[in-house]
This record gives sequence, structure tokens and C-alpha cells, in this order.
Amino acid sequence: MRLLIVEDDAPLASGLQRILEAEGHAVDVTARGEEAVLAASQEKFDLVILDIGLPQMDGFEVLRRLRAGPGGGGPMPVLVLTARDAVDDRVRGLDLGADDYMVKPFAMPELTARVRALLRRSQAHGGPRIAHGPLQLDTVARRAFLRSEPLELAAREWAVLEVLLARVEKIVSKEAIIQAVAGWGDDLSPNAIEVYVSRLRSKLEPAGIKIRTVRGFGYMLEEFK
Amino acid sequence: MAGRSLRAHLLRMLLPPIAGALALGALVSYFPTIEPATHAYDQALVDIGLAVGLHVRVMQTEYRFELPAAVEQVLRTDRFDKIYYRVVSPAGLEIAGDPGLPAPPGDAVAHDTIYDGAKVRVVSVQSPCGRSTCTVLVGETMVKRERLARELLLQSIFPELFIAIATLLIVWFGVKRGLRPLARLSEEIKSRSAGDLRPIDAAGAPEETRPLVGALNGLLTEVSAASRKQQRFLADAAHQLRTPLAGLRAHAELALAQPLPEASRAQVEQVHQATVRTARLANQLLALARAEPGARSTTALVDLKSLAEDEADAWVHQALERDADLGFELAPAPVDGDAFLLREALANLVHNALEYSPRGARITLRTGRREGSAFLEVEDDGPGIPAAEHSRVLERFYRVPGTPGTGSGLGLAIVREIAASHGATLAINEGMGGRGCRVAITFPHG
Repeated sequence: MRLLIVEDDAPLASGLQRILEAEGHAVDVTARGEEAVLAASQEKFDLVILDIGLPQMDGFEVLRRLRAGPGGGGPMPVLVLTARDAVDDRVRGLDLGADDYMVKPFAMPELTARVRALLRRSQAHGGPRIAHGPLQLDTVARRAFLRSEPLELAAREWAVLEVLLARVEKIVSKEAIIQAVAGWGDDLSPNAIEVYVSRLRSKLEPAGIKIRTVRGFGYMLEEFK
Repeated sequence: MAGRSLRAHLLRMLLPPIAGALALGALVSYFPTIEPATHAYDQALVDIGLAVGLHVRVMQTEYRFELPAAVEQVLRTDRFDKIYYRVVSPAGLEIAGDPGLPAPPGDAVAHDTIYDGAKVRVVSVQSPCGRSTCTVLVGETMVKRERLARELLLQSIFPELFIAIATLLIVWFGVKRGLRPLARLSEEIKSRSAGDLRPIDAAGAPEETRPLVGALNGLLTEVSAASRKQQRFLADAAHQLRTPLAGLRAHAELALAQPLPEASRAQVEQVHQATVRTARLANQLLALARAEPGARSTTALVDLKSLAEDEADAWVHQALERDADLGFELAPAPVDGDAFLLREALANLVHNALEYSPRGARITLRTGRREGSAFLEVEDDGPGIPAAEHSRVLERFYRVPGTPGTGSGLGLAIVREIAASHGATLAINEGMGGRGCRVAITFPHG
């Protein structure tokens, strides 16, 4: 994947570059907002990591121009970095079209996990296939495969799995799952969700795919290792 | 030391002139009335003198005085006073009556004197006797006159006294009433939280206190400007620290991801830990600066439940790193507050529970309402905090002796400041079954 880092702090920029290159990405770095806008208008990036506190043209302005450009920057996800944590900044960044938001300093595994999630989401947007370790979902044909073997999933199991797959390594509340699954009309109790999750577990765990319970909150599909 | 009482001062200043005016007023109205009254009594004595004079007979060169006992009794009779008389011949010889009754000196017709051991008013009446004139002196004790004088004095002083007392009462209550706006002002200032540096509303204050209110507002403006400047500096400093710390952390983690000789790895790990700790400390200082009185940032209705839900993901990942079981019991808990600070308070409590509990600890974060008050609470089943240390752990930079880990000792102090800045109470208790620690913040009734 092709990534663009817009960060004026040289040590941080080079650190991010090396970490993301180690993940197998092609990474360009610029310290100036104007250059970032220009580069994004001429070439196609799969993801932009954008610092808010840039000299001259700040990150908000860069974000605004990226989203105002031809095609609104397409599906290109933008991960915003900031040294500020005022709630307003967060809201403003997301309002301007940022896809995720991280407050400095952050742990590198957290950053790489978010980059992976953003890339996966934007790729999934284009294609009908979702992959998670040995699990593959064909969302058009509504067929699942585990280690290339067809996997039988009931409609609601499928729906619950889809919600969890959209947010790997993120905790998902039971309410959020109920909301996503409740399209079938009848009421769903949190207990019903537990039943679906336990059925999914018995089908997926033998292949090493783990769904963790977060007590009193919900579930998290763990990253496949 | 009690300050000078304005009221006492006013009374002290008013009392002498009022007393003076009272005395003067009494004198001014006393003399014009006592004069005619005295004159009337004197006239009665003159009448007695004239009546007595009629009883003087001249026999050649001898003067005779014949007063029938009944008449004398009538003349001498008075309800209050004793009446004396004395008849003196033109040559100055005693003719009759009470011997030695002193005559007014010189040309005077009346005088006050002492006779028979009592104060006596004596008038002198010229009475014809033969071809010459005898002098009849008539005296009277002063009982009546003194009583009259007393009554007149009282009558004249009474209204003045009334006015004086009324004046003093008006001063006493008037001062209190007049100072009521000042009392209101001080109530308003007293009821303020330490962080409330808004100018005082001068609209209701009386004209005379405007300069005071103005000066106070000037001071408040300066203090809040200085405080804001300090807040901004601290916030900027904390923010400025974050970017280089992020770079440091990135490179440390990058180095750790590579194969390293054992000794170097340990060193880089130290660098990494120090970086993480410094970043946390910067965050805490920022929170402390913002929780400081006077830093009151914009408050809004914040639901502690959604606040916890927003951060739950990050905390769950921190817990997983430590094999801790972080669970939630979240019910809606709306409070009026600063979302950043409330999040920081929650983060500090969760961090403490993770930091000071052994691996595999069970930690529960709760929000909700209890007896009408919103609360948030973090409970763990770790070693707990000994009761004797409960108050000390709230001090800045204090750490319970023998505690493992690398905390700064700021966490609970920050939580306490944040609770205080929201008018909330912080309580540290044992966890369920007497194990671990339960820290709760209870907010005032919404």
C-alpha cells in the first residue's frame, strides 16, 4: 500500500516511516501541508497520516483541501495525529472528514493496528471479500469459508460476525451488535447475542479465531496471530 | 481583631452633637416658659404683701400691725409651700412677721435666698403707711416653683429626647439597611467557588460601593488573566512535549522490534518506559493545570456512561497487556462538567487499578446514579490501600511505601482536584469482601 505521512517533527516522521515500511508499505514523507495537498492531487495514496500542528498551512486546512479536491480524495482514509486533545479538535477533525484520530504520543502497535483497520475498511469498501486469517467472507454471495472449507452460518450469526469483522481488535458493545442485527424485525435481547456469539466461537475457535468477552460491555474479535 | 464598626463609629460621631442639640433645645424652650410662670408666682406673693401692708397702722411715730389670726392663717396657707412675711418700717425697723427674712439687695424687687434652712423666694412690696412707705417682704419656699421647673423641663425635653432616640434608632437600623447591598456583595463573593473569577455584577450595588466593586473587578480580571496565561503556558508546554515524546517512543519501539544484544535491549526498554512515563506525566500535569481553580473550562452536560464507553476500547487493550479482566457496569450518569477532566479522572482511576493490581486482577468500572447522585467508581481486587494511607494517597507525589511500579504519585491527587472542581466527593473504600480498593466519585445532585 502507498502511504503519505505529513508530519513536521523529523524524528517522529522518520520513526513512523520506518515502522510502516517494516509493515510492507511504500511511505512518502513531507513536513509541509502545501506539499501534501499537491502530492495527493498528483498521485494516488491509499492512506494519509496527517499531523494537525503543521507550520503555515495546518492539518485542518490540509484535510479540508484534500476532501474538497477532485473526488473528495476518493476513499482515501485520513488518520489525524495531534498533540492537542481538546474535544473540539477531535470533533472538528472528524467533521472535516478524518477517518480516525490519535493523540500523541501513541504506542506504535496501536498506530499500526489502526492503519491496518483503516486500510482494510477502505479495501473492503471496494471488494466483496473480507478476510480474517483463515476465515473468508464473500459478502455478495453470502458465503463463508474457513481454511477454504465452506462454513455454515445462520443469518444472525453472519450478521454478528460481520459487525465484529468490521472492527477487529476493537471492542463492540452488545447494544451496537443488537442495533446492527435488529434489521430482522423482532426484539433481540442481550442474551440472544450471547447465544450467537457462543455458536460463532464453537465454529471459529478451532481455527484459532478468538472472540473475547468484555465483561459488562460486549465483545472483541482478536487480531489473528 | 475586629475591624472598626461603621455603625459604632457613626453613633460615636452622632451622639455628642445630638446630646448638645438636646441640651440647647431644652434650654431654649425652658427659659421662655419658666419666666412667665415665675412671674405669676411672684405676683401672688406681691398680692399677699399688699394684703399684709393694709394691716399696718401708724400711731404718731409708732407703727402697729394688727392681723387677725384667721386672716393670717388664710394668707399663710398654701398647699405646697411655707409662706413667710416681714413688715419693715420706713426707717428699717422690724414691725412684725418673721424676723430676719432677707430683703432683696439694692433696688431688686425679688430674689432667691435661704431662710430657716430652706431655699426661699422673697419679694419686696412697698406699702403706704402714714405719709411714708413701709416695706413688706413676702417669702415662699420653692417646692411649687421647683416642681414647675421640673415639669417644664421635662415637657420641653421629652419631644427632643424622642427625636434623639428616633435618630439613634434610625442610624442603628439605617446603617444595617444601608449596608445591606454590601452584605449581599460579600455573600455573593463568599458563595463563589475558588475558580469563579467572573466580574461582580455592579448593577445592584449602591453608588457609594461602585468604586469598591470596580476595584475588586479590576483585581479579578487581572487574576483571571494571569491564571489563564499560566494555564495556557502549562497547556502549551504539555502539548509541545508530546510531539518529541511521540518521536522518541516511535524510535524506541522501532529499536525494540529489531534483534538486539541482551544488554542493549534492556537499555532501550528503559528508554521506552521512561518515555511512556514522561508522556503520562505531561498529561497529568496538563490535567492538573486544567483542574486548578480558575481554570474552569467550558462545562457541558456529560454522560459518564458514554464517556466510559468512548474510552473503553483503549482501557481494555491496556488491561489485556496486563492480563487484567476489565469489566463494566455502566448506567446513564449525566453530570455538568468538563469532559476532558472527567475522562482524565476516569483514566487515572483505571490506570491506578491496573498499575497497582497483580496480573490477572479483576477490575470493574461503574457509572450510574445512586440516591439521585451521579457517580463513577473503579473497583479492583488488588492489594488495596491501607486505611491509614487513605488521606495521604490524595497528596501530590505521595506513593504508598513499598509500592511497586513507577507511578508519579499524581494520579489520585489529580482525581481529587478534578472531583473538587466539580463539587464532587471522592471516597476510597475497600472493595467487595474486604479485598482490593474501591474509589468512588459522587457528584452533587443534578
